[in-house]
Amino acid sequence: MGERTRQVLPSVLSVLLALAVCWLTIAFTRDADTATRAYLQMLWGGIGNWPAFLEGGSSNAVLRPLGEAAMKAALLTLTGLSVAVAFKVGLFNIGAQGQMIWGALAAALVGAHVSLPGLIHVPLALIAAAIAGAAWASIAGVLKLKRGVHEVISTIMLNWVAVSLVDNWLVIGPLRAVAEGASSITGTAEILPTAQLPRLLGDSSRLNLGFPLALVAALGVWVWLSRTRSGYETRAVGLSPEAARAAGIPTLWRAGGAMALAGALAGLAGAVLVLGTEGRYPGSLGAPYGFDGIAIALIGNNHPLGAALSAAVFGILRAGGTRMQLLGVHKSFPELIQGFALLFVAGRMVWLALLDRRQKRAQTQAQGPAQAGAEVPRV
Amino acid sequence: MSLEDASLDIVPGELLAVVGENGAGKSSLMNVLYGLYHPDSGTFRMDGKPVRFKSPRDAIAKGIGMVHQHFMLVPTLTVAENVVLGREPTKRGLLDLDRACDEVAATAKRFGFQLDPRARVDTLTVGSQQKVEIVKALHRGAQVLILDEPTAVLTPQESDELSQVMRGLVAQGRTVVLISHKLKEVLGVADRVAVMRRGRTVAEVRASETTVSELASLMVGEGTKGAALTGVPAVASETPEAAAGPVVLEAKDLRATGDNGRPALQGVSLTVRAGEIVGIAGVDGNGQRELAEVLTGLRKLEGGEGTLLGGPLAGLTPALAKARGVGHVPEDRLARAVVKAMTVEENVALGRHRQPPFARGPWIDFKGRRERTNQLLTAYDVRPPDPAVALQALSGGNQQKVVVARELDAAPKLLVVVQPTRGLDIGAVAQVHERLREARARGAGVVMVSLDLEEVLALSDRVYVLYEGRVTGHFPRKDLDERELGRRMLGAEGSHG
Repeated sequence: MGERTRQVLPSVLSVLLALAVCWLTIAFTRDADTATRAYLQMLWGGIGNWPAFLEGGSSNAVLRPLGEAAMKAALLTLTGLSVAVAFKVGLFNIGAQGQMIWGALAAALVGAHVSLPGLIHVPLALIAAAIAGAAWASIAGVLKLKRGVHEVISTIMLNWVAVSLVDNWLVIGPLRAVAEGASSITGTAEILPTAQLPRLLGDSSRLNLGFPLALVAALGVWVWLSRTRSGYETRAVGLSPEAARAAGIPTLWRAGGAMALAGALAGLAGAVLVLGTEGRYPGSLGAPYGFDGIAIALIGNNHPLGAALSAAVFGILRAGGTRMQLLGVHKSFPELIQGFALLFVAGRMVWLALLDRRQKRAQTQAQGPAQAGAEVPRV
Repeated sequence: MSLEDASLDIVPGELLAVVGENGAGKSSLMNVLYGLYHPDSGTFRMDGKPVRFKSPRDAIAKGIGMVHQHFMLVPTLTVAENVVLGREPTKRGLLDLDRACDEVAATAKRFGFQLDPRARVDTLTVGSQQKVEIVKALHRGAQVLILDEPTAVLTPQESDELSQVMRGLVAQGRTVVLISHKLKEVLGVADRVAVMRRGRTVAEVRASETTVSELASLMVGEGTKGAALTGVPAVASETPEAAAGPVVLEAKDLRATGDNGRPALQGVSLTVRAGEIVGIAGVDGNGQRELAEVLTGLRKLEGGEGTLLGGPLAGLTPALAKARGVGHVPEDRLARAVVKAMTVEENVALGRHRQPPFARGPWIDFKGRRERTNQLLTAYDVRPPDPAVALQALSGGNQQKVVVARELDAAPKLLVVVQPTRGLDIGAVAQVHERLREARARGAGVVMVSLDLEEVLALSDRVYVLYEGRVTGHFPRKDLDERELGRRMLGAEGSHG
């Protein structure tokens, strides 16, 4: 079994097992037929109803679901990358949610209150969001590296600070849009058209520039980690801080840099949400994409491309989840699947042990029992 | 599994030595005897009756005691508390310390040990701690005592004392099994010697009827010249002092604090010239490690001053040390020298990953790195010679070869090596020693910290002895004397040579 297979297989098996367990759950509480049809609905809702489309249906039947799935996948990719990057340097970033909140707010403010041509406006709003997220993550980073405060504790607490400050005060208080006429609008002011992420498939789908942006981010992080000096140093610090220090690597800068990058990626997720679909910082940021990032990163084995892949899978399931309601299955089912997959993938070592044993048994049978254990490795 | 078809007869009342290279299966065999490992096949008889030990508890009940290489003592407890641990005498349900002390003192006296049962173990010397371990086994009624590499941490004087202790136990009818790879020492004390190679017992000889070189060839197998591999160099290093080049390190009155917060270096002064190997001898924990760390920028210098390769020693960082040309083979390989989850080639690049051929601009130069790694793997005979395999898949000896290859490839002007051959088998030891001599011949100054006195004697052009963070002896090669070194290692001052 190759190294790559060992990395990928446990995740794939975990997702499949989670799908099976959840199917059984529906089958037991309802019946097998409903379970199967609910899964089909989820699939059509995620990747589009291809059978209907091929029989001459409207292209919207495919484009709209795909666009929804892609946008959910984009957000999950960015927050998943955020967690994965921090993990590479040995830090557990539970704070993607808070970092995303600040990124979303920065994007909303720059998008609404700075007047610029579109070619500059969008990048500027994105950069502002990245900086805001990075700054918020750096609080936890500096506390960790200078004072030894555990990043799990500090990032969790900073999440609540962000929620309290932004969601519970700024966007419903000082930064709330002053509505003309009807006064029931919540959230910040609408962003200017120049700050909107361009839609890629016209009006039939919400798919926008945020999706390729997330893919580029995943590729970029992967290339950085695997091909550059600084990425190599970052991995060395994560795997063995003492050896990295002895090799002359500036460990504090690498760890701090990775944490800031993690924050920037989560901040970008906030920007994609605001500039791409919401159009403003809504009354509440809603779905906890930041927390989902933890699951996405872990299911993706903390590999940048793995995170993108698991984000794609769960983007599809999530987008399709609403369609399960047609059969009376609750729309939160994809989250249940995600939860189970995370639970199973946490047993990565168990998976690998099972796979190794299977392989060993196969080898033993192939060689014949007489030769088993004949190898004498040195202690 | 590391044992294959190993047989051993232990005769009551004799001192049996088990010798073999690292990885030959000595410790595994003993762990089987002691019930820690379970054999896949084979039989085990005691007094003619087959027995099966499920755990060390069974072994202890049958009168087998073991003194491990790494002591199993609780440092903050007293001698008596450690000895009775697990079978404490009680009075009305409470620990009866007085009785424990009396019992332990009685056992110690019976076997001729001088031990204060009320002393805290962490205040004792390593040699005394070992005695506590032996008393612990005897106190539990051990008839057969297994000692795993007992002299590895001892000074020559302490080793002599241990030999007497072992002979004394045999004289009292106990059986002693001594595991060692120090052949000279084994021949001096054992009745019989069993030789292990690759998991098999390949020979059993009477100590009086064999020689060091015969044992050595048995250990490494046919086709290898035994005499060259006994740890004693065939050709003594004979660089005359005059040949040594310019000063690469000049340090005065160095002071530093150890990890435990206590002063570890209390005024160490030393000089190292290009083209010489300077040995640092001492019993473990007398400041050698901290000295190496100060010289490589890993530990903060808190007092004193020095010049290292043209720059000040104060304020040295690992990166700065590397830039000036300091190479480092640290003691704890897995923690300090390598990232074991990375590949061999990634580890070869570690520390030099910013320069060609390992990098081109900000990018990793995969091709250059692969080529250089392949060259080094061939030159240093690393097995398997696969640059893309994870480092942790290599054996300890091959990992060390990778580290030595990397550090020497950088052509260091000062090489700091700590315990460079710990845990390596004889073949690898010889190779590492050869490489250190090559580095010297090329003009590098080498500082070698080793707890293995034989190694220090074999390689050093000069030797400093450290005791409690101070230099207690300084000997040029011509004045090297094992006895005198041992005396200084125990703190005896003398006129500095």
